[in-house]
This record gives sequence, structure tokens and C-alpha cells, in this order.
Amino acid sequence: MTAVARPGALVAGAESAGHALELRGLSKRYGGFTAVDAVSLRVERGQFLTLLGPSGSGKTTILMMIAGFVAPGEGAVLLDGRDITALPPERRDFGMVFQGYALFPHMTVAENVAFPLRVRRLGRAAREEKVRAALDLVQLSGFADRRPSQLSGGQQQRVALARALVFDPDLLLLDEPLSALDRKLRAELQEELKALHRRIGRTFVSVTHDQEEALSLSDQVAILNHGRLVQLGPPEALYERPRTRFVAGFLGHSNFLRGTVREVAAAGSVVQAGGTRLLQRDEPGPPGATVLLSLRPEKIALLAEGEGAENAVAGSIAAWAYLGAGYSLSVATCDLGVLHVALPAWRAPIAPREGLPVRLGWSAEAAVPVLEDADAA
Amino acid sequence: MPRDAAVLPAAAAPRPGLALPREAGWWLLLLPAFLLMTALYVAPILQVLAISFTEPTPGLGNYERLFTAAGVQRVIGTTLRICAVTTVVALVLGYALAYVIALASPRARRWWLLGVLLPLWISVLVRAFAWVTLLRRQGLVNEGLLAAGLIEEPLKLVWNEFGIVVGMVHYMVPYAVLPMLAAMREIDPRLLAAARGLGASRLTVFGRVFLPLSMPGLVAAGVLVFIVSLGFYITPAILGGGKTLMAAEWIKLQILDLVRWGMGAMLASVLVVTILATLAIFARVVDLRRLFGGGH
Amino acid sequence: MRGYEAGPLARTLAWATVLYLLLPITIVIPVSLTDRRYLSLPEQSLSLQHYANLLRSEAWLSAIGQSFWIALASTLVAVVTGTLCAIGCWRIGRRSTELVRALMLLPLIIPAIVYAIGLYRWFGWMGLLDRFLGVTLAHGVTGIPYVVITVSTALAAFDPRLEQAARGMGASLWQTLRWVILPRIAPGIASGAIFAFIHSWDELVMVLFIASRQVFTLPRKIWDGINENLDPSMAAVAVLLILFTVLLLALDGAVRARRGG
Repeated sequence: MTAVARPGALVAGAESAGHALELRGLSKRYGGFTAVDAVSLRVERGQFLTLLGPSGSGKTTILMMIAGFVAPGEGAVLLDGRDITALPPERRDFGMVFQGYALFPHMTVAENVAFPLRVRRLGRAAREEKVRAALDLVQLSGFADRRPSQLSGGQQQRVALARALVFDPDLLLLDEPLSALDRKLRAELQEELKALHRRIGRTFVSVTHDQEEALSLSDQVAILNHGRLVQLGPPEALYERPRTRFVAGFLGHSNFLRGTVREVAAAGSVVQAGGTRLLQRDEPGPPGATVLLSLRPEKIALLAEGEGAENAVAGSIAAWAYLGAGYSLSVATCDLGVLHVALPAWRAPIAPREGLPVRLGWSAEAAVPVLEDADAA
Repeated sequence: MPRDAAVLPAAAAPRPGLALPREAGWWLLLLPAFLLMTALYVAPILQVLAISFTEPTPGLGNYERLFTAAGVQRVIGTTLRICAVTTVVALVLGYALAYVIALASPRARRWWLLGVLLPLWISVLVRAFAWVTLLRRQGLVNEGLLAAGLIEEPLKLVWNEFGIVVGMVHYMVPYAVLPMLAAMREIDPRLLAAARGLGASRLTVFGRVFLPLSMPGLVAAGVLVFIVSLGFYITPAILGGGKTLMAAEWIKLQILDLVRWGMGAMLASVLVVTILATLAIFARVVDLRRLFGGGH
Repeated sequence: MRGYEAGPLARTLAWATVLYLLLPITIVIPVSLTDRRYLSLPEQSLSLQHYANLLRSEAWLSAIGQSFWIALASTLVAVVTGTLCAIGCWRIGRRSTELVRALMLLPLIIPAIVYAIGLYRWFGWMGLLDRFLGVTLAHGVTGIPYVVITVSTALAAFDPRLEQAARGMGASLWQTLRWVILPRIAPGIASGAIFAFIHSWDELVMVLFIASRQVFTLPRKIWDGINENLDPSMAAVAVLLILFTVLLLALDGAVRARRGG
């Protein structure tokens, strides 16, 4: 927690930089409303963690508690095992990129970036040196004397990054870092941000409501809902094996199939959903249990005449839309309700039209059992 | 208030010893103004309230005079009458002005506003002096009218209630315009155009759409003008010429000339209570901060 | 408001009102240039003799000087305390500081005469009657509302995340105030200072009670002039005062324009 930034360049070996952050039983109540409910998690050194959730899920409150702007009602924030819960924000040495960037409009880009060094009373020469390095890092070297109002959204975002990184912070916090940008720029900056993270190897904690951003940037994603941590894991694991209905529905799209386990065998289990028997490779529950399966639309295939699959149901197209890269179909089935199917255009065997009878098929590994969120709690 | 400073942040944060100093810093910023205001503003005024109950003898004697002394009653009557007339006239003139300003183009609006704000900030003494110059017996108005042969005797335009009202309305019109203008600016101009488009006459649009929507501003302006008029000193003193006494001048007379502190303090207290009570009743529509805020 | 304009009746009344507001004030300009020794319009020629009299008069110059220093000192008091208070109220939040703000606005609501008689006693007791310090404090305290209002307005437009960002980057309360908050609200402070200055510069009622010989301000001198001898040098003073106010308001307009741009 030294006041003066450590010597050394911003770009450091991944193994030497970064700190581990741990949240222990963090809670925050506002009157009768529980904003954050007993959240515990750990971010390893150099990892990129994203807190993902809908608005009101408590993700921003958690970030504000990490930053020190909000005092937790219960629980603790630990940095490398040291309790920092009581430290005020100005003594935490965390870099932060604010939502909307919060650049000082009355200062130039260089003055903005120099601000954290100025408050640490760093000498002028060292200050200029570090500001130059930080602006180089975000490729804004030529913009030092501009005002924030003269920059584009993407440039402002990079100034905010440089300002947050210039004092070599223990941790970088990002509050909806890309949400103010348009779609195309967002994709571009996602890549840059990811590259930057790899290059400097520091621990990043980000907050977003944008699932795509979370999936593409993070090493670990924490999914939050109603103030609770629902699931924590690498993006692929969360997408492929969501633990609850909420996670499956929030990360991407999903069909939900409800049924009862009939048999459990080595080759797989049979789940009865109405008159349809579904084959599942895993064991969703003991025989007789009611289970909920999540089935991603892109894992359903449209079966050709005579083609078979481990699971197959018949239905007719209720609605369809052409999306460029593919089709989105809503297929009405007898036992499973309406199933959404995402079909790559090049693999579509038919030209969709309403009322067309089709057969859908998917493998025994495609569907994943998930918990109802009430049960998960 | 300083006590609150210790309690509030602690309630917000579970670790008072650690979270407190940061919040306390912000509370310290309030301290100089708070101390100054309490010691040098609130205290003297509370003292006035106290004197009204204690001098010359403890008790409600001074307030009893409100019901028994014809002199006090006459002053109150004069004050209320002049304030009521001033308020009504200032509201009518101010409303027309605010209405035109609200509907003017942005460029024209700036000029109109200048015409309203300039007098607001020009010394009340200078304005009273200007009115004396104009209205007195040998003043420019009488001289002009005499020269033109329109009158044979100079008119009594000043050192009476007429003069006071002329001067007070002059002072109050800007105060009336600002809150009304603020309310009118919030009216969606498309509503008016739409009403006209639907076939309503100008008068109907005004009566059925504009007037009701601007009502909160009208009430706020009325309250403001009335309470400021109640305690007015300089303009009535100069333009009334000592013949028509309003509350403020009567208070000054009691204290500086007659040294009857009890009576002066009593009427002063009545003034304060009346004003605060009026404000409390209309608290929802009157926002004083808006008046002088950067809105113009 | 395109597509809808005020009718002829409203326009006529509005014009008449503006003339009523402005004309009587401008009438003092020709009167101040009269060639007569009494209040009148110039008859034969324009004359600057009354301005000359004014500027040669020890009494007038002294009153102007006193008023100026008192206004300057009381503006300082109002600006420092009012600005800090407005920032504190803004940062701590709306609900808990509503009472403090209401307190700061009291001087706008309570008639000056009530405060003046209270001060008369209070300062007598504190030994501040007829003293530069006493008048300065009284004008300073009653100037606070103007500063609180203009600074609060400026703060309302200030993005609170800037303050948070500064703290998050390690700035102390004092550094945040000096480098982030104050530069952003400087135009609001300047506006407040101008209004507080005009307030003190014009203030008469308090001065009538708490000052007599030692402290003799310009409004007091004008007051005596109006009550004792109405001569054209009064008109000359009035014109100078009007010009001064116009100048200050133009300054305020320039400050606001800079903030807007």
C-alpha cells in the first residue's frame, strides 16, 4: 500500500504482477432491500474476473465494495490474504475505470493520466515518464494535450484505462467499461482490453451486463442474480454446464424441457417428457425425480428424411426469421412445447415456411440438467 | 446539527471508527457557515423573539396590544392592504411579461430577461430616488403634465400609498416573473400548438391549457411577492414620506425613536411567524433556490 | 416555442411593464447631467458639474471607499463559508442536509428589519456596533445564501463520479476539493461572489441600525441625501451605482457564458 508507485515499467511478467483478491461473505442491505447477499469468491493473481448479471443483481455494489466506496454490511475484502475492508478508497491503490469514464473535463489527457501520480506527490520528471508510458500502452501518444471533450468515445475509454493503470495499481476495476460504445467499437476494444490484460498480467475485475463481453474477456465469470452469486467459473464451463435455469437463460438462449427420470443405466438415462422419451448421457437424477433440462438452440438439428438421432421429435414451424448467418426457428412440438432452433444457413436442408412439418434431433449429450433457481438457493 | 454529524455516517457504515473520518471531513465543511449563521444570524433573531415576551415586563402583554391598540392595528391593516395591492398588480404585470418571455424566441428571450434582471439588481435606494425624482410635486411627471396643460394643480403622486405601491410593484415585478417563467418554461409548447391545431381559439388555449399549467408558478410568485412585501422597509419609508406607516418602518420607529423594544420586537416576531407560516403552507410550490439559481 | 406566439394584448402589457421597469431608472441619467442646481432635466446644456462635485467631496469618496472594502471583506466571508457549506451539503446527500440548506436560506426570507433590530442588541452586547468588523460580518452572513444557491446550482451539474474517481485514484479530501471540485464549480462561485458583493454594496437596513459615525457606507450617505437634500449630485451617484451594477452583471454574464461554452 505504498503511496508512491513502484518503480519499473507497466508491462511486467505475468508471474510477478497482480494480486489475489478474495471476498468473504460480503453482504449489503439498504433498508429492507438486500443488494448483496453473502457473496464469497476468489480471484487469483493475474486473472480477469467479470461480475455478470442483470441490473439490480448487485454486481456494481460488489465492485463498489471492492473499491471501498461502499462499506459492506457484513463480510470482508482481502487482498493477498490481508483484510482491507476498512481501508478508504484513496488508500487502496486500485485502478478504476468508471462507467462513462469520469475523465476530468477541465484537464488535458496528460493531466488526467497524471492525476493519480500528482496526488502521490511524484516528481515532475518521473510523472512525465510514466504518463508517456501509459499513453503509449493505450496507443494515445499523440493526444496528450487534448481535452477529453475532443476525443471519441473509444479514445476516452483508453484514456480512462491509462489513468487507471499509470500508478501501477494492485488491482484494476472496470465498471461497465465498454457499455457507452457502439457495437463495432465495443468488439474492437474488447480485443484490445484482452490483449492489454495479457500484456501487463495484472488482476482485473470487471462488471458488465453484457454476456458477450463477459464471455470474450474473462478467465472467470461470476454470475449474479438478486444479490447472490449463482455460479462462478470459466466462460466455457458456464455456457456448457450452467448450474441453474437462470444461468442457462441469461448466458445465451436456452430451451427448457421438464420431465421425469424413468431409468438410469450405464449407457444413459431416460427422461419421460409427456409422451416423448428423451435419452440423456449423464444422470440427471434418481429414477422418479422430476428434472429440468437446458437445451441450447444451436444444438438442435433439423433432421432430413429418414435421418435418425439419439433424440428426435416431430413438430411444425410456428415462426421463423432469417438472421443472415442463419435461421431462427420456433417449432411447435406435441410434448415439449415450442422449441427454439438456431440453424446455420448453410446447413438448412429446407426453406422454412410457417406450418411446415419438421423433425428435430439432438444428441444425448446436448441437453444439460439444471436446477430451478429457487432450489439452487 | 454537529451532533448529527457524528451519528449519521456511523449509521451508514458498520465500522464507525474506520468509516467515520472520511464522512466527517465533509461534515466539517458545513461547520464555518453553520457556526456563523447560528451565532450571528439565528441568535439575534431568537433574541428578538425573546424580547417580545420579556420587555418591558415578562408575559404576553405586547401581544395583547395587537387586539387593543388601534395604532398597531392600523399599521397592520395598512401593511396588509398595500401588500395585497402590490401582489395583485405585480402578478398581473409579471404574468404578462413571463408569458411573452416564455413564448419568445431564444434570442428575444435573452433581451427580455435582461430587462427583468437588470432592475432586480439595481440598488433599491437608487430606484426609490428615481421615483421621487419623477413623482414629487415638482417632479418630472407633474412638471411635464403642467407644461402640457393637462393639469392645473400638481398631482399628489408620492408620499402617500399610491407612491408606495408604484415603488413596491416596481421592485416586485422581477420577483414575480422569475418563478412564473420557470413554471411556464416547463409547459410543452407542442401542447399549445396542438390545441390551436385542434381548433381552439387563442383565448381558449390560454384559459384551458396555459393558465392551469402555469398555476403553480403563479401561486409561488404570489407567495414570494407577498412575503417579501410584508417586511419591506426602504421603498415605503422613502416613498411614503413618513405619512403612511408600514410594519417595517413602524418597528424602526418603536426601537430607534421611541425605544419601545417590546412593541417593536413583538411586531417583528409577528412578521417572522407570518412569513414562515405562509412559506410552510406553500412549501410545495415555492422553491426559493430556483429563484436565484443559474436558471437565467 | 415555435408555432405559438403571445397575442397582442399580452405583448402590449409586457412592453408596458418592461418600460415601467426600465424607464424610471434611466431617467436619473439626464437628471444627473442637468445644468441647474436642483433636480431637473437639463435646460440649456449638459453639464458634468455634479459628477465633479461628487468626486471632489471627501464625504462621498470616503463612503464609497468604506462600502467597497466592506463589500469585499463580506464577500470573502460569504464565499468561503458558503462554498464549503454547499459542497458539504452536496456530498453528504439530500435528505440529511436539507435542514442545513434551509438554514442558509433564512436571510433571504426573514425581513432585513427584523435581523437589523436583533443585531442592534446583539452587536451592542458584543461590542461590534459601528465597527468595520461588525458590518462586514452582518453583510457576510446575509450574503451566504447567494453563494450557497449559485454553488449548489453549479454542483448539481457536476458529475459525482469525478469526485469518486479522484478518491479512487488516491486523492485526499483536500486534493479532491482543490484539483477536481473547485475548478469545476469556479463559475458558480464567481457568480455567488458577484451577488454577495452587490448585496453588501447596496445594503442599507442593517447599516441604519449597527453603524452611525465610524462606519458610514454609500447607501447610508444616499439615504441621508434623499431625506435631507435632494440635489443633482444624488442623481450622479445613482448613475454611477447603476453603471457599477451593470458592469458586475456583465461580468457575471461573461462568467456564465464561459461555463456554458
